[in-house]
Amino acid sequence: MDIGDCYVGWATDEDIRTRGASGGLVTAMLAAALEKGLVEAVVVLKKLGEFEAVPIVTSDPEEVKAAAGSMHSVPIVLSRYLEYGTKVALPAKPCDARATIEQAKRQQVDIDTTYIVGLNCGGTMHPAVTRKMLETVYKLDPEEIAGEEIDKGKLIFETKDGEEHAIKIDELEEEGYGRRESCQYCEINIPVMADLACGNWGVIGDLAGKGTFVEINTEKGIKILQNAIDAGAVEITPADDKGKAIRAKVDGAMMKVAAAADEKYLAPIEGSHLDYYMNALADCINCGACKAVCPVCACGEGAKCTEFSSASDTYKMSLFHLVRFVHLMDSCIGCGQCTDVCPVDISLTHIYQRFARPMQEEFEYKPGMDMTTPPFFGVDLLEEGQ
Amino acid sequence: MAEATATGTTSEEWQPKIVMFCCNWCSYGGADSAGMGRFQQPPTVRVIRVMCSGRMDPVFILNAFLEGADGVIFSGCHIGDCHYVNGNYKATIKYKFLKAMVNELGLEDERLKLDWISASEGERYANVVTEFTEQIKKVGPSPLKPEGVV
Repeated sequence: MDIGDCYVGWATDEDIRTRGASGGLVTAMLAAALEKGLVEAVVVLKKLGEFEAVPIVTSDPEEVKAAAGSMHSVPIVLSRYLEYGTKVALPAKPCDARATIEQAKRQQVDIDTTYIVGLNCGGTMHPAVTRKMLETVYKLDPEEIAGEEIDKGKLIFETKDGEEHAIKIDELEEEGYGRRESCQYCEINIPVMADLACGNWGVIGDLAGKGTFVEINTEKGIKILQNAIDAGAVEITPADDKGKAIRAKVDGAMMKVAAAADEKYLAPIEGSHLDYYMNALADCINCGACKAVCPVCACGEGAKCTEFSSASDTYKMSLFHLVRFVHLMDSCIGCGQCTDVCPVDISLTHIYQRFARPMQEEFEYKPGMDMTTPPFFGVDLLEEGQ
Repeated sequence: MAEATATGTTSEEWQPKIVMFCCNWCSYGGADSAGMGRFQQPPTVRVIRVMCSGRMDPVFILNAFLEGADGVIFSGCHIGDCHYVNGNYKATIKYKFLKAMVNELGLEDERLKLDWISASEGERYANVVTEFTEQIKKVGPSPLKPEGVV
């Protein structure tokens, strides 16, 4: 097994294989890592309902197995729940993986003891928006939903009576439903920065729907996969070239869609920028939730954005936001959490991206993709002077 | 009252407020030599001394704008002359980010300036201040100026 190798794998346990998505490889791998002592804790998603799940940290392999087949969730600030250096494995969408790597750069997470099992991601949906969409667009009762699926550009909901209801995602997004806005213009679908990149894209033939495509990205990835094979929890077979090509094709198609959404949402502001930003932030109630959930902010309680800004300021814009704009210019990964938690629905991710994108492009720096330092700190001072 | 004064300017002409951050070792000395050499300069600048241009924090500059500054200059030793070896390289990186940020925010490009002034360059100091003041007069009062601040 080498870095760069691609396999298709599945869980040997019958129960995990049927309950887990795409053969339950990830679930089996995480459970095996706990059982064999490779890690002390695993982050999994605990389902709250059909539309919502919360990330939990567990050391119980049974709880990991119980979480099989759960959906995507939001990136968490891992360092807030685990001590530095804890051996941990977590399933991660590309933005989760990037958030974890950014935390590692800020000495919040020890990257050498963190196993990131990446999952392909084509976007996530906000639970509240999804419920509203079901009621108004699909004319269905949200409680009656038994499953969801995205196929051929259509979002399909299956109700408990077995009927399928499909509507094109494009149409939904046109009306403001569907995926989160930040997911629509996110162009990273395959977690190349994680230790393993897993997903169902590229699984063809007899294995379709019963296996998971795995690409090995790092030494740690080899370790966690080999551990699961040694434990007898998973079986793998080398992926064929056709599968690889299909996976690349799906990725390419998703990137094109993202680029189109990018042009739509992040088009240059017409008119006064200052008015645009002042209007956008006018409703802010200074709750600070956007900072609290931000996975790339490692400043803690006494941060510059909060310490120097006060609710009694009579400034035209809050210093809190201005400092966060500068702060996130080199590090915003566009995960969308700030928008999610904002109690007055300010599209914060959108605003941060407007500031961050040009700078990240100029420095050719993408945060969270590898362990290279951000341009703010990573500049070679002596070379710059020559 | 628009009475003409002896110098020919009207007493009502708007004078911009400029905040200038000078490093202790070069630019602050430059301001001193400008005074000692009696070089003429407009009285628009409020100088704040920092130990090094590398000490400049984006917070300082953003706060200056929010408090009503029409323009901000930050200034330090020439590249290679920094008292703390490489503080001014750090300043250039911060400047790059701040400049992009201030532009995206919708403030005019002219309102923020980084310049190198050494302790012996009194005349240059006076020129930088004069030119910058003219520049700010052209673009007018800052849109971020709070209500009631002149």
